[in-house]
Amino acid sequence: MTMDRARFEQGLTYDGYKAQMTRNLDRVEENERRVELRPEDLAAFRGLPRQLNVVVLAEDWCGDVIANLPVLGRLAQESGRLNIRVFLRDQNDDIMQRYLNQGKYKSIPVFVFFDEGFRELGHWIERPASVTELRARRRSDIFAAHPEFGAPDAPVDQLPEDVRGRLQSELQKMRDDTASFANAEVVREIRDLVTRVAA
Amino acid sequence: MTGAPPKVKITYCAECGYEPQTLELARALMLEFGSRLAGIELIPWDSGTFDVSLDGQLLHSMRREGGFPDNDKIKKAVRAHLTV
Repeated sequence: MTMDRARFEQGLTYDGYKAQMTRNLDRVEENERRVELRPEDLAAFRGLPRQLNVVVLAEDWCGDVIANLPVLGRLAQESGRLNIRVFLRDQNDDIMQRYLNQGKYKSIPVFVFFDEGFRELGHWIERPASVTELRARRRSDIFAAHPEFGAPDAPVDQLPEDVRGRLQSELQKMRDDTASFANAEVVREIRDLVTRVAA
Repeated sequence: MTGAPPKVKITYCAECGYEPQTLELARALMLEFGSRLAGIELIPWDSGTFDVSLDGQLLHSMRREGGFPDNDKIKKAVRAHLTV
């Protein structure tokens, strides 16, 4: 896979990606509204010495894309320094194969940052490890507080339907409660990456 | 088979795009076993789950086995259960 200007321009703009979504657009736009960008973060992006080209791999069914792509979208919109093109993962396997998570998983979203000559500067995959760790802890807490949910690793299909529904609600609430932290961590990691490589 | 027809449950990660594999397995079971099954329940979940159970017995777990099940192996396990 070679990324150059011609291939890059085949991708969808952020708004073009949203326009072709067949599901979850409401969740993406809700996450856009919820992202809080601190002045110092915006200043860091606005202060980049050059505009960066960003290749994004995404699909509209993916929870991590729904959560994290809007963060990048807001940063691009408000800084004017990130030129985004979105490629659908399942139609662009040549790109996906180059950015497999741990060399084997097709995790998305993937954000790949290029300079104006399409030299790759760095990439970011899926979600921050800190978010995975926090949510794993919170998930353990939920199971500890609700013995009726059974063991954390037990198949959920063995739970009565009403209990399964309550577990699903608790897990969704936990994800909602940790969304602000997660968004801030995405901003921090992308900021660290782009300010390091674009200097 | 003794007793009531068995029920298959497929728990799949709805945030991972696993619907095609879920529907493919459900279709294979429907076509092979028809009304010999009490039901095929599809449970949307998250966290990369793809579990298949038969009357509470876990036949396949993506976390345990890695990857998606071989549908022929699932059908073979159901067939064996039905002929007991």
